[in-house]
Amino acid sequence: MKNDGKERMPYDHPGASFCALSTPPGESAIGVIRANGPLAEALAVSLAKVPYPTPRHAYFCDYVAVDGKVLDVIILTYFEAGKSYTGDALVELACHGNPLILQKVLEDLFKRGFRLAEPGEFTRTAFLNGKMDLCQAEAVAELIHARSEKALHIAERQLKGGISAHYHSILDALMAAIAHLEAYIDFPEEDLPSEDAQGPLRDIAFCLSKVKKMLATRHYSALLHEGVKTVIFGAPNAGKSSLLNAFLGEDRALVSPEPGTTRDFLAERILVGPHALRIIDTAGLHTPTSKIERCGIEKTFLKIDEADLCLFVVDATRPYPAFDAALWAALAHKHVLLVLNKTDLMPPPYPTAAPWNALPCLPISAKTGDGIDALKRAILDAVEAEDLSEDEDLIICIRHARALEQAETALADAFAKLKDGAPVELAVCDLRFALDCIGGILGKVDNEVILGLIFSKFCIGK
Amino acid sequence: MNSNDPRSTQNGSIARPEERGRQEPTDVGDLARTTRTPLEAILSRSSYDVIVCGAGHAGCEAALAAARMGARTLLLTGNLDTIAQMSCNPAIGGQAKGHIVREVDALGGEMAVNTDFTAIQFRLLNRSKGLAVQAPRAQCDKKAYQFRMKQTLEMQPNLHVFQAEVTGLILRDGAVAGVETNLGCAFKGKTVILTTGTFLKGIMFVGDATVEGGRMGDFAAKRLSKSLLDSGIQLERLKTGTPARILGRSIDFSVCEEQKSDSEPTLFAFYDTREEMFHVEQLGENRVGWGPNTRSTSCWMTYTNDQTEAVIQANLRRSAMYGGKIEGVGPRYCPSIEDKIVRFSDKERHRLFLEPEGIHTDEWYINGLSTSMPMEVQEAIIRTIPGLEQAIITRPAYAVEYDYAPPTQLQPSLESKSIGGLFCAGQINGTSGYEEAACQGLVAGVNAAAKCLGLSELVIGREEAYTGVLIDDLVTKGTQEPYRMFTSRAEYRLLLNHNSAELRLIDKAAQYNLLPEARVTAIRQKKAAIEHWVSRFEGTGLDARGTLADALRRNLQVELPYAFQALSGAIREEVLYRVLYRGYLEKDFAHIAKMKAIDAVRIPSDFNYETLKGLRNESLQKLKKIRPQTLGQASRISGINPADVSVLLVYLRK
Repeated sequence: MKNDGKERMPYDHPGASFCALSTPPGESAIGVIRANGPLAEALAVSLAKVPYPTPRHAYFCDYVAVDGKVLDVIILTYFEAGKSYTGDALVELACHGNPLILQKVLEDLFKRGFRLAEPGEFTRTAFLNGKMDLCQAEAVAELIHARSEKALHIAERQLKGGISAHYHSILDALMAAIAHLEAYIDFPEEDLPSEDAQGPLRDIAFCLSKVKKMLATRHYSALLHEGVKTVIFGAPNAGKSSLLNAFLGEDRALVSPEPGTTRDFLAERILVGPHALRIIDTAGLHTPTSKIERCGIEKTFLKIDEADLCLFVVDATRPYPAFDAALWAALAHKHVLLVLNKTDLMPPPYPTAAPWNALPCLPISAKTGDGIDALKRAILDAVEAEDLSEDEDLIICIRHARALEQAETALADAFAKLKDGAPVELAVCDLRFALDCIGGILGKVDNEVILGLIFSKFCIGK
Repeated sequence: MNSNDPRSTQNGSIARPEERGRQEPTDVGDLARTTRTPLEAILSRSSYDVIVCGAGHAGCEAALAAARMGARTLLLTGNLDTIAQMSCNPAIGGQAKGHIVREVDALGGEMAVNTDFTAIQFRLLNRSKGLAVQAPRAQCDKKAYQFRMKQTLEMQPNLHVFQAEVTGLILRDGAVAGVETNLGCAFKGKTVILTTGTFLKGIMFVGDATVEGGRMGDFAAKRLSKSLLDSGIQLERLKTGTPARILGRSIDFSVCEEQKSDSEPTLFAFYDTREEMFHVEQLGENRVGWGPNTRSTSCWMTYTNDQTEAVIQANLRRSAMYGGKIEGVGPRYCPSIEDKIVRFSDKERHRLFLEPEGIHTDEWYINGLSTSMPMEVQEAIIRTIPGLEQAIITRPAYAVEYDYAPPTQLQPSLESKSIGGLFCAGQINGTSGYEEAACQGLVAGVNAAAKCLGLSELVIGREEAYTGVLIDDLVTKGTQEPYRMFTSRAEYRLLLNHNSAELRLIDKAAQYNLLPEARVTAIRQKKAAIEHWVSRFEGTGLDARGTLADALRRNLQVELPYAFQALSGAIREEVLYRVLYRGYLEKDFAHIAKMKAIDAVRIPSDFNYETLKGLRNESLQKLKKIRPQTLGQASRISGINPADVSVLLVYLRK
């Protein structure tokens, strides 16, 4: 089949211009929108009001919508085709990080002929334009989805090959084991040292421990991508939704003085320090009177069970609520912060710990915003205590985790076989499979490399 | 064409396509006018389907395969008395190589039978390991092997064996049309198979002394190299070597360790599916050869020592290789003794095998002592070795450097990508080893004949045979050193156990009519019996212990059906193998099914890689050079990463 550029390829939409928000949704100082494709240059001309926009030059200008309204004051940067991230002509619009403004800018871009980018389309375009290899493309895809500065940092590390060093150490040990075993299979007539599985067993054990260690970080990896799952719970009308709104700085959750307003879950992402928090607001916990409430309360228990961090909101003006033992059981292994709300309705001093156990107690007023900063600091401490430090072995994508899981099984099988004295070619079979798994991450390993290892290690030949 | 013909000195003896008009003597259409001797007139009257140039292990199989398929075949050799010569060690088989010999038999080739009937020692290697990696090996009587093969060629209908040195290709319209010889006569042929071994511009080194030739005592094919270059075929240099030969009566065997033949020989050919011991195609009385394992001899082991090392170290600069005289790349797995001493200086001693060259001679081969040292240093080295102190050397060790045509210039059928009808097999493709040569020769012979007979080309998959792995590696990756087969090169090693060669290749053998009908039937019956018993074992429930197969896999004591126990050993062994290794074999089958998907994506031969966005330049260059036929082949090119394959797939997918 000849490709004359006219045919529509599965991953290629020649001639299409697309745009998307490039920064995490939600409130932030700056929100960047990228607009890519043939229409990009005309967009730069129109907004920057210059006939020929200078590439990689920052233009400070108004965003004037097609209907003449000024939506925002922005900084525009134009990248010409061939020298942009995607390889196509590209415009980056740095707007103010107000979700409403960003939404309006996007809507205006649609009117100008851009469509919303498909997930990963910028990276895919870059990939098809030869701007990156598959491994890099995946890392960039992760980078796009990274919801926090930390995840961003780790995705960057992978791009620079930081994480690949760990894969390489596994690969080297694995190849050494295979080369050793293969030598005894392929050269039965050579004067090799007497056959001994100890060396390969050591190499395999090393690979196994390394793979296990990397797999153990799966959990943190999810935290980084999805955000730290934070559940707000408490008695009805304790101000849980108000707290969420205080975090978000807008009326996102439906708030009313009527108890039991929140029956469904509201999930929002906020940034606390370098961490992304996925905050889940829940229905109030009490003895349910209606069926629908009971259902909501059961769901709340489930959410608490899945949470990485719990915020127990208590109304400072009311007696401490009495919950049944199931709740305390659910909380036993959780990070829980007691948030004493509505301090605006009563004077200090406030208690520093919960009366029934040693939960740290944080007095706030969701209404006035008092104490919110202290609460954020406490959240930060709690998240850091989860040891989300810059773990070198972080797996940043599911594909890698899957490959490592398969490698782990194969390595364990090979180890057991060698130990039990099973046919060595079967153990090699498992090891070769593990090699393919690791090779799937780093790029395939040519058999010549293994032969090279054999001939450098053993004196072979007639 | 006469060698004093001025045209031959100017242009070699090749007709370049653009010169065809002027070079009328090389135009086969005009042969009648240019014939000068009665001999020429006789030979050039007729045209052949297949002309094989060289009668080594590749050439013999190529000629036999083509002739057996019914193609009119001519086998040209510079010397009829060196047919099927084992230029290096007197052994056939070994790990991976033994597997190949059995595949050659499964495809109707001759090497297996010829080995079985001229062998003087049989051993099964890797007995302590599993069936997949066991391999037969045999010492042969070199002369008997040659005589028997020569006789086989002579008896073969459709085959004409003739002694002449090929000096050039004759081309017409970018395709091959025949060959020229040193006898001043040309031969017309629809296809030509080059099996030149080490003869293309062969130079031998014994220290400072250099001798032209492809083998000690033989000529060098100098003019053919030039002809190939003029035809646009790229040539490069490789190097290999062989150790000295000594007289048995001068060896003190009492200080050497004996290595005996197995009491039960593991034969290379499959006899359970043959009606007679002798190959059905073979005619004639008074065959050279003897019943397998009736003339058993031993090999002997001895070792180098400190003195050996001292002599080598003191003379290192005098080695042709270390002195920098040889440009060609030698094989990593076949280093000279000087190489071993330098690279593995911590190894106290190196083992040597003394192998008899045959029962018709007292010459012995010193396996492990290949060198390019000058003669007197060689002598000094040999005399340091226990048992060889008084050795009488009959032939020196030498290194040989020769031209090969990087095999990435070939299609998977072994036909040249640039010259239609031209096939290459054996060392010209950069391989090493009699067995590697034989299987290529067989495939090239089948494909040359197939081309003449209008059949599709024979391409053997990597999952079907080591032969498939070998050829795919050659045409897809090329080789930087003489390529030797190892079982570790095969990703589906467990499927390629030597016992199953016949079963794996039966469909292809039948498709190309490579086996007598009776044997095809017998193999199919054997295959059906094996499959029947495997499914019966998997399906037979035993109370609480699962199936019979489960019990076997768990190594439980079970009684096998009498009807099974009464079957031939070949069938029983294969059934048990398939049952015991089931999990692994199934994994391989699953992987093969996956690969089949991308192997099924064919890349048009005129595919324009330049239009692809997203390919790295390095990958683009490689793809343009190799021009893979399928996406699967593309994925196996070294340096082509999954991203490149994805991009290709994107563009190949409608």
